[in-house]
Amino acid sequence: MNTTKRVARFALPIALSLGVAMFALTPAIAKDLLTVDLVNEPSSLDPHQQWNPDSYYVYRNIFDNMVTRDDAGQIVSQIATKWERTSDTDTVFTIRDDVMFHDGTLLTPEDVVYSVDRITNPDFGSPQLGQFNKIIKAEATGENEVTLTTDGAYPALLAQLVKLSIVPKHIASTMTSAEFNEAPVGSGPYVFESWDRGVSVTVTRNEDYWGDKGPFESVVFRGVPDAATRVADLQAGAADLVVTLNTDLAQQVESGGKGKVLTVNTERVAYFAMNSARPPLDQPDLRKAIGHAIDREAIVEGLLGGYPQIVDQMLSPAHFGWADGIKGYAYEPEKARELIAGLNVAPDMELGLATSPVFDQRVVQAIQQMLTDVGLNVAINTTDMATWLKDQQTTPEQAPMLTFSRWSCACQDPDGIMYPLLHSSSNWSRVNDPEIDALLDEARSELDETRRAELYAQINRMALEDADILPLYQAAIIYGAADNLEWQPTSNESLFLNRMSWAE
Amino acid sequence: MSVFLLQRLGQAFVAIFGVMTLVFFIQRLTGDPTYLLVPETATQADIEAMRRSLGLDQPLVLQYVSYLWDMLRFDFGTSYVQNIPVTEIIASRLPYTLQLAAGALFVAFVVGLPVGLAMAIWRKHPVTNVLMGMVLGAQSLPTFWSGILMIMIFGVWLGWLPPSGSGSFAHLIMPSIALGLLSMATYARIARSSILDEMSKDYVRSARARGVGTGRLVGKHLIRNSLIPVISISALEISQLLAGAVIVETVFAWPGLGQLTVQSVQSRDFVVVQGIVLLGAFVTISVNLLADILYSVVDPRIRKGGRA
Repeated sequence: MNTTKRVARFALPIALSLGVAMFALTPAIAKDLLTVDLVNEPSSLDPHQQWNPDSYYVYRNIFDNMVTRDDAGQIVSQIATKWERTSDTDTVFTIRDDVMFHDGTLLTPEDVVYSVDRITNPDFGSPQLGQFNKIIKAEATGENEVTLTTDGAYPALLAQLVKLSIVPKHIASTMTSAEFNEAPVGSGPYVFESWDRGVSVTVTRNEDYWGDKGPFESVVFRGVPDAATRVADLQAGAADLVVTLNTDLAQQVESGGKGKVLTVNTERVAYFAMNSARPPLDQPDLRKAIGHAIDREAIVEGLLGGYPQIVDQMLSPAHFGWADGIKGYAYEPEKARELIAGLNVAPDMELGLATSPVFDQRVVQAIQQMLTDVGLNVAINTTDMATWLKDQQTTPEQAPMLTFSRWSCACQDPDGIMYPLLHSSSNWSRVNDPEIDALLDEARSELDETRRAELYAQINRMALEDADILPLYQAAIIYGAADNLEWQPTSNESLFLNRMSWAE
Repeated sequence: MSVFLLQRLGQAFVAIFGVMTLVFFIQRLTGDPTYLLVPETATQADIEAMRRSLGLDQPLVLQYVSYLWDMLRFDFGTSYVQNIPVTEIIASRLPYTLQLAAGALFVAFVVGLPVGLAMAIWRKHPVTNVLMGMVLGAQSLPTFWSGILMIMIFGVWLGWLPPSGSGSFAHLIMPSIALGLLSMATYARIARSSILDEMSKDYVRSARARGVGTGRLVGKHLIRNSLIPVISISALEISQLLAGAVIVETVFAWPGLGQLTVQSVQSRDFVVVQGIVLLGAFVTISVNLLADILYSVVDPRIRKGGRA
């Protein structure tokens, strides 16, 4: 095999330089190599550093996580096989005793403890600190046992540990994060091989993996920023899997005869926030009118190719706590006009709608038009993403009046989405309702799952009643894949290579 | 000559200092990378902690002074996003930019100059009209369109060339053409007008009168004399190409400096943007310096203190 590979590596550039047509198709034919087109190369392969999709698409194959989610979205064992809550704050995890890091060293509870300490150490400066800082202590309490202590009862602990990559203490503790980033060693189904900066990252199959082994001998992740180029790569057979397509390109793939579209509804919830701290939006009837003015079906079916699913709560079916039977505002423009007619809204009162090029501008403009249709004066204010984020995370008095955005906590737990958007203590929240605050605080530390789900359903009903915030839809993610690649994408937007296969 | 050089070097130093200062302040006045680095659920305390770890909590003046001090020691800093030294990031991208620039220049020169020459010599021939149309086309096609078109034709339908990426000579062909087209058109037009200009001069007429053939006339006199404007344009074109071709590199997923610039500006990776801009300034200034020296080689009048 090695010789073939060496020959292939040597022959490929030469053949290409001769302009021999068929060689451009090599990756799709050679079944032992999978080529994935990401948007950009990973920012970092140190899993405790960057956590943007282009980074974790790659490193989640190099590292195992404390626990994981199966294709149905249930939390299942990975490094931890069992867990038991021994008190409101303590959870005891049993750690697998047969996991080897890629350098042949056994993974021990000490590595788990080190991984928690590393990512929660403020001096380490992890961008993911906010996801793990409820864990105040990690301790090896037995031969294969780790006890995690949280700051108060913390029901979302497991949902967060889905993202806790376990790094080897004996390696990571002896180097800086930058050094570890250049030669990451994990215990996952793929072993880091090389990183050609700016071009691609190559990983190879871990033949000694304890779990399901990967179906591809090696996998190349490339950065291809232009979505149309990613589709061309797929259609030319130069790539087997491409990420992040919009609906137009998805259509192009479907009608192109080569390649197929894979899609899944993610845990991202698109919402429309109205700033009740700034008149005239302090009038609940105006917010309700806006709810009736937005035609979500037109947005989803007309603009977004029918992929997303309309939601009526600040959650998605991919989250814990999704409740049936909650109904939002139906599209009734007449009713919206009536409501607005009875209100104190000056016709020249301009409502600013904050956005950034990151968001789908077709949706933003459609919403502007829908609100104009019912007699409101909406101005779109576009800024770059950094500025948009800064403008959002401020006091309600200074925040934009209207905002269209999508939210994901990457944890599939309602606390990660409803607390920041609805609790008055959060920078992002435009809501100031002591009753909702109290319920959110209670749900945040309620360990009884049934009771907890009820609390979130109640909060969602209350938020709808006053139209504090308008849930729009559960966003979809669209991938393009080679016809013979079998894969079921999941809501948490990970590319687990060992869950893919070639159709024979 | 040496006074001239010293003057130019002094100007170059001032220009680089100006660029350094501008890029520092413009970036910091237009956004804060912290918000892009932390998760949405980060608390104010998390945001402050991240800002501290990046050193962005310091007063702007202090940041500027330490930045200048670092630059003086050739310490270009560490990327906020990738957490590796900027010099390493730029060094990994530079070879690709050089390859692409060379490829594009090759296309521009090898096609542009003969086309310009032909258009000047056969001024009234129908061939010139065809060539003129091609030049206009090359100049008007936006690269994001011509690039995708080439990818569709040669990459997807015909399958002759890899649609995107890097790693072999074949990968270089389409991006070089896409990028070289515009420069090609520029060269063709400049060469044409410059040769036409020369052709109307007295020495050409007398040479013709002496019975010098067209081939010899063009080869021996015209080309050399028409080169001055071509060199000036080259200085501009080369420094543009070396700064990276943003659109072509994005469309073809070519990992050069242009792509890096876009990514770094979008993620507010100040340190990387600073590095790239400084490199760009350095290249532009050096190439122009080189062009000045070249003029004096080609045209002795400049060397001997005449007007440039």
